[in-house]
Amino acid sequence: MNDLPDSTLSPPSPLAVLAQRDEPAAPVAAGSQEARPALNFRQSRLSRLADRWSHLIFLGCSLLVVLLIGGILFFLASRGLAAFVPMAGNVGRTLRLGEVFLSSDWAPSSDKFGILPFLAGSLSVTGLALLLAAPTGILTGVFIAKLAPHWMRNLMRQVMDLLVGIPSVVYGIFGLTVILPIVSRSWLKDAPASGFAVSALILSVMIVPTIVSLSTDAFESLPPSLDEGAQALGSSRWQAIWHVLIPAAKPRLITATVLGLGRAIGEAMAVQMVIGNNPQWIALLRESTGSTSFLHTLFTPAATLTTELVQELPNTASGSTWNNVLFAMGLLLYLITMALILATRKLGQGREA
Amino acid sequence: MLSPKTPETKPVKLSVRNLDFAYGEKKILDDLSMDIHAERVTAIIGPSGCGKSTFLKCFNRIHEVSTAVKVTGDMMIDGVDIYRGGIDEIDLRRRVGMVFQKPNPFPKSIYENVAFGPRLFGVNDRATLDHIVEDSLRKAAIWDETKDRLKESASGMSGGQQQRLCIARALSVNPEVLLMDEPCSALDPIATSKIEELILELKEMLTIVIVTHNMQQAARVSDYTALFWLGKLVEMDLTERIFTTPRERMTEDYITGRFG
Amino acid sequence: MPVLKTLHLSRTTKPVDRLMRGVLWAIALGFIVVLTVFVGAILKQGWPVLNLGFLSKMPETLDAGGGIKPQLFNSIYLVVLSLGLSLPVGLGAGIYLSEYAGKGRTLRFFRLCIETLAATPSIVLALFGMIVFVQTMGWSFSIRSGAVTLALLNIPVITRVTEISLLAVPRELKEASYGLGATKLQTILKVALPYAATGILTGLVLTAGRAFGESAILVFTAGTNTSAHFPDFRMTVPGETLSVHLWYVTSDGTLPDAREIAAGTAAVMILVLLLLNLAVRFLDRAIRRRTR
Repeated sequence: MNDLPDSTLSPPSPLAVLAQRDEPAAPVAAGSQEARPALNFRQSRLSRLADRWSHLIFLGCSLLVVLLIGGILFFLASRGLAAFVPMAGNVGRTLRLGEVFLSSDWAPSSDKFGILPFLAGSLSVTGLALLLAAPTGILTGVFIAKLAPHWMRNLMRQVMDLLVGIPSVVYGIFGLTVILPIVSRSWLKDAPASGFAVSALILSVMIVPTIVSLSTDAFESLPPSLDEGAQALGSSRWQAIWHVLIPAAKPRLITATVLGLGRAIGEAMAVQMVIGNNPQWIALLRESTGSTSFLHTLFTPAATLTTELVQELPNTASGSTWNNVLFAMGLLLYLITMALILATRKLGQGREA
Repeated sequence: MLSPKTPETKPVKLSVRNLDFAYGEKKILDDLSMDIHAERVTAIIGPSGCGKSTFLKCFNRIHEVSTAVKVTGDMMIDGVDIYRGGIDEIDLRRRVGMVFQKPNPFPKSIYENVAFGPRLFGVNDRATLDHIVEDSLRKAAIWDETKDRLKESASGMSGGQQQRLCIARALSVNPEVLLMDEPCSALDPIATSKIEELILELKEMLTIVIVTHNMQQAARVSDYTALFWLGKLVEMDLTERIFTTPRERMTEDYITGRFG
Repeated sequence: MPVLKTLHLSRTTKPVDRLMRGVLWAIALGFIVVLTVFVGAILKQGWPVLNLGFLSKMPETLDAGGGIKPQLFNSIYLVVLSLGLSLPVGLGAGIYLSEYAGKGRTLRFFRLCIETLAATPSIVLALFGMIVFVQTMGWSFSIRSGAVTLALLNIPVITRVTEISLLAVPRELKEASYGLGATKLQTILKVALPYAATGILTGLVLTAGRAFGESAILVFTAGTNTSAHFPDFRMTVPGETLSVHLWYVTSDGTLPDAREIAAGTAAVMILVLLLLNLAVRFLDRAIRRRTR
């Protein structure tokens, strides 16, 4: 191999290389050439057909998802709206929108179907849960992303993975057998041991992993110059976090919270097991006016959209007004979910502008 | 190697006439014309970013896998238009093989890497595959190093070995042309020289077009050299002539290192 | 770039910083404590109940001493069935999104639909399943109603994990495949999917875990009864699972040993969860080892 370039500082000029090149090679001896295997390499017709049709099959799978979204809407609406529109198969009278969505008078046996108690219950439980989960979740997110040592990050990720994997019924049973007894043995001995507080507590633990993982992503995707810049100005770690990082990550943190909200409002089983299932909670609170402390309110047995569905749907007859109203509640839940997803989309787009 | 004294006897394998190439709005190649002769090595040199790789990839239409491209002009293989002559691009890619800048063996065994190509075309018979695998590895001058570890993963090989494996893989489907896009730029000098030796052997069987940023390499291995600049062909000629008596001023400047 | 508020150092900066660091650590440690207490309490409560008999006996309707054999079977059966239904659809949709859908409005539209399905509360899916499968198609409370509805829950997760795993396949590998003359389908099946397989498998295990713990959907589609015959592989019989049993035994409360059964069932579920979690960690490490 005497035509290797010198390993001196400057590579030799191509001229020099040319000079060192071998003379034009003699024609190769016939015998040394490998006869090429006479194989005809072509794509089979089956293979080409499969390539063309597979595109459609994969598209079909995606379209199935779209179909499902529409289908869920359609079928829920077909039952839910039956409460308001005279339809075949309906037993009982049709209702006005107002008496369902604007009334808090729920007494199906007396033909009263105001669902405000459930809506209010859902919002209260969700709101309380978010109050607990959002700050702790976001702070944990920043902790994992910016403060925790390597081993702690891994540990926290494992913890969150486990928390999110626990089934909701197990959360419910924990609330029932561990938390409620603790609560009822403590200062609220005479208050009914159930209600918003415990449900919200459990719910917050259930949605925290979602908020934590999205927050962690949000902080990790901030440009490092932000953090470095703040610290170069002499701020402390916490100042940098509070004044610079959190505001910078705000859009994605809001998205994280909204998604946590979506999960919370749709949660059924765990809440149903500990909330006490009392659709009359608003009326109950109104009656006991004198001695209603805030703490007392927190522990009143209550009800949400989801818990009422779980509780009563199996007991109602198909086609009856009660049954239809329940489906209307389900439809409402679905529409709220869709609205939340669209909201996160809008938030995301606003950021990209 | 072809010298100016010996006449060219090989036919034209690939020919390009007035080729324009654009990605969306951006024009990359401008009015290129050249002939590439069969069983010769043609080197394409030039500063970075002047469209060499893009041009190379036009020959096997591999751009179209990821983006929509706009090609005007003619590009022909054996006289048939690559873009408009009714050639199926999948068939084309079998005939026109490619070796990439960074070795990219599949995360499979050595055997399976080379057998991948034939399997695509329905060859499943064990004996035939064994024969093809050995044949390809021999042609790529890597049989002795791999014959005892065919079942081992390709990721365990050194960079130079991996690149020769990729060459074997490309050879397994019996291509007529081999496109090489800076095949040695990620390799050490010893591996580089092994591959340059290989190129000189392979050109007996195939047409080779090699893009290189290394002028010395072009001088060592190629019969013809083409200099690109900003998407245009500056000059193309026998390698000997380009490096000794270039016609264009720009060529002379580039070769003597005055720019690029 | 957000407007930087004046970051002036005051006398309280250092102590506040130390305090807040402490708070952050406390919150994180708090979660660890919560998890430990949680798992510990469930296991502690259920441990006395867990014996071979509990797992292999049939349930009682009125007396104490019932087991969870059919529910355990149904849980596993339904997970397997629903995965079998959702895997092809999820894979297909994931492949479409990562390899065919391009980058523009089509992709965003499909992603929106996947996200919406993913965010749909399981009780809503339960209602849907009830109307369509239990009632309209006349399948009544059965394994097949439960399996199909549960598959709806799985599809978005499998789709997302497939898409992400496929997008992580290095471009050079696909280029090499195309360079040899492979069709798009061949490249996907022979190069991209094998590379993405471990990631997809991890997603499958996660999906299995979620399906295993699901209760709302199954209450309304697979019912709260089990077949008296064991093992019953028929799709037409009711299929109460562990999760539904846990809920039903607690809510209904007619059984004298409802607490014990609930505790035992919960413990079994947590143990399965821990096992699946280990499987995911193992798979994750396998992925990281390969891409090194």
